[in-house]
Amino acid sequence: MTAITEAAVTQRKGAGGWRWSGRIFLLLLLGFTVMPMIWMFITSLKTGFAAMQYPPQWWPSEPTLENYWRLIDPSGSVGRDFVQYFLNSVWVSTLTTILAVVVAVPAAYAFSRFRFPGRTFLFFAVLLRNMFPAVVFLVPLFILMKALGLVNTHGSLILTYLTFGLPLAIWLLKGFYDNIPVQLEQAARIDGATRFQAFFLIVMPLSTPGIIATSIYSFIGAWNEYIYAYTFLTRHDQMTLPVGIQRFFSENATDWPGLMAATFMMSIPVVVLFLVLQRYFVRALTEGAVKH
Amino acid sequence: MAQVVLKDVVKNYGDVYAVNHVSLTVEDGEFVALVGPSGCGKTTTLNLVAGLIPMSGGTISIGDRDVTDLDPKDRDIAMVFQNYALYPQKSVYKNLAFPLQMRKLPKDEIDKRVQAAAKTLDIVHLLERKPRELSGGQQQRVALGRALVREPRAFLMDEPLSNLDAKLRVQMRSEIKRFHQDLNATIIYVTHDQLEAVTMSDKMAVMNGGFLQQYDSPANVFANPVNMFVASFVGSPAMSLVPLTAVTKGTDVVLASPEGWELPLNAANAKKALSAKSNKVVLGGRHSTIKVHKAQVPGSVPGKVYTVEPTGDVTFAQVFVSGAVVNVSVDPTFLLRPDEPVFIEFDQNRMHLFDGETEMALKLAD
Repeated sequence: MTAITEAAVTQRKGAGGWRWSGRIFLLLLLGFTVMPMIWMFITSLKTGFAAMQYPPQWWPSEPTLENYWRLIDPSGSVGRDFVQYFLNSVWVSTLTTILAVVVAVPAAYAFSRFRFPGRTFLFFAVLLRNMFPAVVFLVPLFILMKALGLVNTHGSLILTYLTFGLPLAIWLLKGFYDNIPVQLEQAARIDGATRFQAFFLIVMPLSTPGIIATSIYSFIGAWNEYIYAYTFLTRHDQMTLPVGIQRFFSENATDWPGLMAATFMMSIPVVVLFLVLQRYFVRALTEGAVKH
Repeated sequence: MAQVVLKDVVKNYGDVYAVNHVSLTVEDGEFVALVGPSGCGKTTTLNLVAGLIPMSGGTISIGDRDVTDLDPKDRDIAMVFQNYALYPQKSVYKNLAFPLQMRKLPKDEIDKRVQAAAKTLDIVHLLERKPRELSGGQQQRVALGRALVREPRAFLMDEPLSNLDAKLRVQMRSEIKRFHQDLNATIIYVTHDQLEAVTMSDKMAVMNGGFLQQYDSPANVFANPVNMFVASFVGSPAMSLVPLTAVTKGTDVVLASPEGWELPLNAANAKKALSAKSNKVVLGGRHSTIKVHKAQVPGSVPGKVYTVEPTGDVTFAQVFVSGAVVNVSVDPTFLLRPDEPVFIEFDQNRMHLFDGETEMALKLAD
């Protein structure tokens, strides 16, 4: 028995060593990313007093869902605000995503299929926007939004998020369309489809994984954005979640459990989106939709 | 089925002419192969007939209709693509039904036609599968089925066999030929493989550099190539071409090589040789019309064996003659060694002569 085990171990040592060091590395990385989230969740179950205790409790002696009730209770001021922020975020992110996809799909298709003068330059110009840090545009965009009378409206955020989201969406989708052989559309057109039908009936369904992946990127980008929302919106009833939950910080004290509960709630939609749609990501990565 | 007529068709991208004033008529029920090396304009020509790219000039008509300005969907044609272009998200059944749905046929009629096409092509058991679950040969059949199901006026095929392995290609070649015979279909078939064109088509249109070089039956193209390009493109191994000089010696005309040997021509060939623009004449011969001797005989010219390729039934050899490679075939029992000096005898009645300047075949004036 031992002999067999030993032989097996020696045999696999070369590859096994690497495999184990790889696993340990991944485990460390996992801990590094997951620990803060776990700590966030644990803190959200504590009372304000327990949250400040030293040494910290790894698991609260009296866990409570009180912080969560407070967030969704419409009769309290905290609950009213939080629900409003949440709805604002959903509205802004959803509209940004829909607009980005609606514009990006035809734009990406055109960049992928048509040869027109200035195509390369335009495609580069589209991406140019994403080569600068977001803050660079903060002041110019604020002045622009003020001139347009859009400050303190969700329109200002949606427009701004599109300037980031749209180039990325076009770029991602173009990759998808590049991988769909042009012969499929030609076949459809010969089979009796108009150009638009060929796109709508044949090409669009094939690019669904790409559209979904693009949508998620856009949505998360808008959902998590802080600096523009902080600058463009001053009215409480307009605020989105990243800005709104700042109100748990006050001059004198910070409601840590409340803040953690709000943050946890905020991450739920993103996690759910990923869980529900992750098979499309996998399909987009592995299948490539069509054979060349 | 219908006749397809191309009249003076042009497709240019700026100064680059992909298709240069091509005119040809495909008769109703005829199988025409567009053949030529890659980049010769054959696929562009097919795409013009399909209406997938706009024409720069000329007209195309299918049946009695001028389709020059019509969309592909209105031309009533079907096309089989090199990569089959099956809709990956649709089952085989839905792939076959798609062209009928687009034409808004009633459901039971669609079903009837799909089943019939599937039966013809022996793919009934595959109807519920997705294209990616099929082998290359099966995908090919589905692609044919999708073309067949609609009963179009003409079939266009763009290198439909080139993605198949060698054995399957030979099998599908005869199936497509059978398909043509059974349906009496008008087919325009693009291929770079001259053997496919020769074996399958009623007529072949040989293209090069955007120009239609020759349009005739495979037998005529093979026997009477109009120029050196067609001569060297059609036939395997290719026709051998040896550049020489025509010299008049008294009443005789000979072809002289720089090495000093001379090949006397018979009267007909002499007349042809003298009709060349200059004294530069290219001698052409197919392997089946060339004899190889170990010792000099009258009318033979010296050469040196370069490579020997036994294939079992016949042994092919390449022989250097005056710097040019001449393909010959000999009986397997006739042993040749590389670098061995040999003597080559061209059949005077079946040799080809080309004008060294214009590269056109030299012909006797009628």
